[in-house]
Amino acid sequence: MDERPVSLALKLMALTMFVFLLAPLIVVVPISFSGDSYMMFPPSSWSLKWYPAIFTDGKMTSAFWTSLLLAFVVTVLSLLIGLPAAYALVRLKPRGAEAMSALFTAPLLLPTIVLGLAILIVFSRYGLLATFQGLVAAHLVVTLPYAIRVLATALATLPIPIEEAAATLGASPFTVFRRITLPMMKSGLIGTTALCFLVSFDEVVLSLFMTGPRISTLPVAMYHHVEQQADPLVASLSVLLVILTLLVVLVVDRTSGLAKTFVK
Amino acid sequence: MTDRITAAAAGQAGEGFLSLKGLTKRYGGFAAVDNLDLEVPKGELVAFLGPSGCGKTTSLRMIAGLVPATSGRIVVGGQDLTEVPTHRRDMGLVFQSYALFPHMSVARNVAFGLEMRKVGKDEIARRVKEAIALVHLSGKEEHRPGQLSGGQQQRVALARALVVRPSILLLDEPLSNLDAKLRDEMRNEIRDIQKRLGITAIFVTHDQVEALTMCDKVVVMNQGRLEQVGTPVDLYETPRTAFVAGFVGRSNRLKATARDGVAEFAGESFAAQAGLSGPVEIMVRPHRVALSAAGADVTAGDHRVSGIVARTIFAGDILQYDVDVAGQIVSVELATRGGETVLQPGAAVSLSWRRQDVFVYGAAA
Repeated sequence: MDERPVSLALKLMALTMFVFLLAPLIVVVPISFSGDSYMMFPPSSWSLKWYPAIFTDGKMTSAFWTSLLLAFVVTVLSLLIGLPAAYALVRLKPRGAEAMSALFTAPLLLPTIVLGLAILIVFSRYGLLATFQGLVAAHLVVTLPYAIRVLATALATLPIPIEEAAATLGASPFTVFRRITLPMMKSGLIGTTALCFLVSFDEVVLSLFMTGPRISTLPVAMYHHVEQQADPLVASLSVLLVILTLLVVLVVDRTSGLAKTFVK
Repeated sequence: MTDRITAAAAGQAGEGFLSLKGLTKRYGGFAAVDNLDLEVPKGELVAFLGPSGCGKTTSLRMIAGLVPATSGRIVVGGQDLTEVPTHRRDMGLVFQSYALFPHMSVARNVAFGLEMRKVGKDEIARRVKEAIALVHLSGKEEHRPGQLSGGQQQRVALARALVVRPSILLLDEPLSNLDAKLRDEMRNEIRDIQKRLGITAIFVTHDQVEALTMCDKVVVMNQGRLEQVGTPVDLYETPRTAFVAGFVGRSNRLKATARDGVAEFAGESFAAQAGLSGPVEIMVRPHRVALSAAGADVTAGDHRVSGIVARTIFAGDILQYDVDVAGQIVSVELATRGGETVLQPGAAVSLSWRRQDVFVYGAAA
C-alpha cells in the first residue's frame, strides 16, 4: 500500500462524518452522569445515581432478562435453522434454489412496520401476542435472512476438494461436516451469531407490536419509559448497551476479524 | 524407516489389481467416459494422459467414488467397489489444489486418516512422524498449511494420502500448480516414493513428459475413450492411432490418399493397413528423418522424397528444417554436432527415413 498525502478537505470531511456518527454518544454519555431529574443537555449538576437506579427499576431489569433470553434463543434457533438451510441451498442445490434464497431474504426488503402489522394480524388469531414464543417467532423472521445469507456465503466460498479429501481419508459425510466444514466456517458462524444476537436485542418495531403488559423487551421498555418520564435513567442504560454492543463487536474482531466476517 | 509401510503396501505382484470394466459416465447424452476397460497390475504407476475434457479426471474421480459411475464396475483386489462410498474405499487422493485442511497443523492433517481408522494414539504419532520424514518435512509438523510453499503443501498432501497405506494412490494433476523447477523435483520424488513403497498408483496428467518419464504404463484418452495403453516406449515407437501419434511426442502428419493398402505421397509408396482406401495420414517423427543436400550421396533409408527448405530454425542443440515436400511441410530435426553447414531457405534437399518409423492412419472423418 502506498501512502498518499491526504488532502485537508478529505480530512475535514472524515472528521465531520465521525462527529455526525458519534453525536448521539456525545449527548448521551454526559446526560447519563446527570444529577438532574429530567434529561437536559448540558446537565446542570453531576451524579452517578442513574446507574444504580437502573437495577432497582423492576420493569427495566425484567425487560433486560427477557431481551437477553430472547436474543439467546433467537440466535440459537437462527443457527439451527439457518445452517441446514444454507447447506441445502448451496450444496444440494435443489430445483429453484435461487428463487428460494431470494424468498428467504425478502423479509429484509420489507419495511419492518409492514412485517409487524402482518405478524400482529396473524398472531392475534392464535393467541401468540405478548408471549415469549410469539416474540421468538417474530424475531426469527428478521434474523433468519441474515443467518442464511451469511452462512450460505461462508459455505459457498469453501473449496470442495478439501471436503472430498477428508472423505477419501475415511471420513463419513457427517464427520466431514463436523470436522472439516464447520471449523472452516468459523468466521461465518461467529458473524451470524453476533449479527442475530444484536438484531434481536435491538429490535424495536416488531417488538412494539408483540409486547404488552405481560411481557416486554428492553428497547420497548425504554421507549415507554421515555414516553412517561424523561429522567436520565434511559441515558445511563444506553451507555451500558453501547458498551455491551462494543464487547460483542470486539469479540468478533478478535476471534475472526470484523472485515473478514461481514465484508464479503 | 519405510520398511513397515513397504511391507503393508507390497503384496503379490500380479495382473489386474485394479480392474475397470466397461466404466462409463454419462451427463445427459454426453459420455464423459465411454466404456473404459483397464487392468492395472499391483505396484505399477499408471498415467491417465489426454487433453482437458478427455475424461481422465472423471475416471479418477469414479475410482475414488467422488463421482458415481453410470455403468461398469470398479474392482480392487478382487473386491467390487462400484457401490462402496468414498470413505470406505481405502484410497489415497492427492489433488491439484493440495486440498489441505487449513485449520489444522501439518501433523494433524497427516494424522486425520489414521484418526478416522481409529488407530491408537502412539501409533498415530509414530506413523505421522515417519510419513512426514518420508516427504522431507521433518520440523514443519506444527506449521499451518498457509505457512508452507506450494511444493511443501503438495508434500503434506502426499504424506497425508500415504500414511493410511491406501490400496491405491490417486494423483490428480499433482504437479500442475508448481513452477517448472519444483515440478521436476517432485516428479522424481513421487516416483521414488511410489517405487519404494511398491504402491499401485494412478497419475492423471495432461503433460506427456510427466506421463512418459514417471510412469510404468500410460493410458492415452481422448473424448472419453481409451486410445491406447502401453509402456512409454510402446506409445512413442508404435502409436496405434493418429491421435496418440500427435499427442505423444512431436510428429509430421502428412495428408495423402490410399488405395488398396498403399498410400501415395510425393511419388513414394507407403504400406498402409491391408485394404485401406481413402484419405490417410502418414506420420513420421521429425528426428527420425534424415536430410541431405539434393544430389549428395544419399544416406540409407527405405523412403525418399525431395523438397525445398522453407524455414531454418537453429535452437542450439537442435537444428530444425521445415521442408516443403509436394506442398506439405515436413519438419526435420537434426542434433547439432558443431561445424555443420546450415542450409538456407530455398535449398533443394532430399529426405529419407526407415520403414519402421512410418505409420499410416485412416484420416478421421
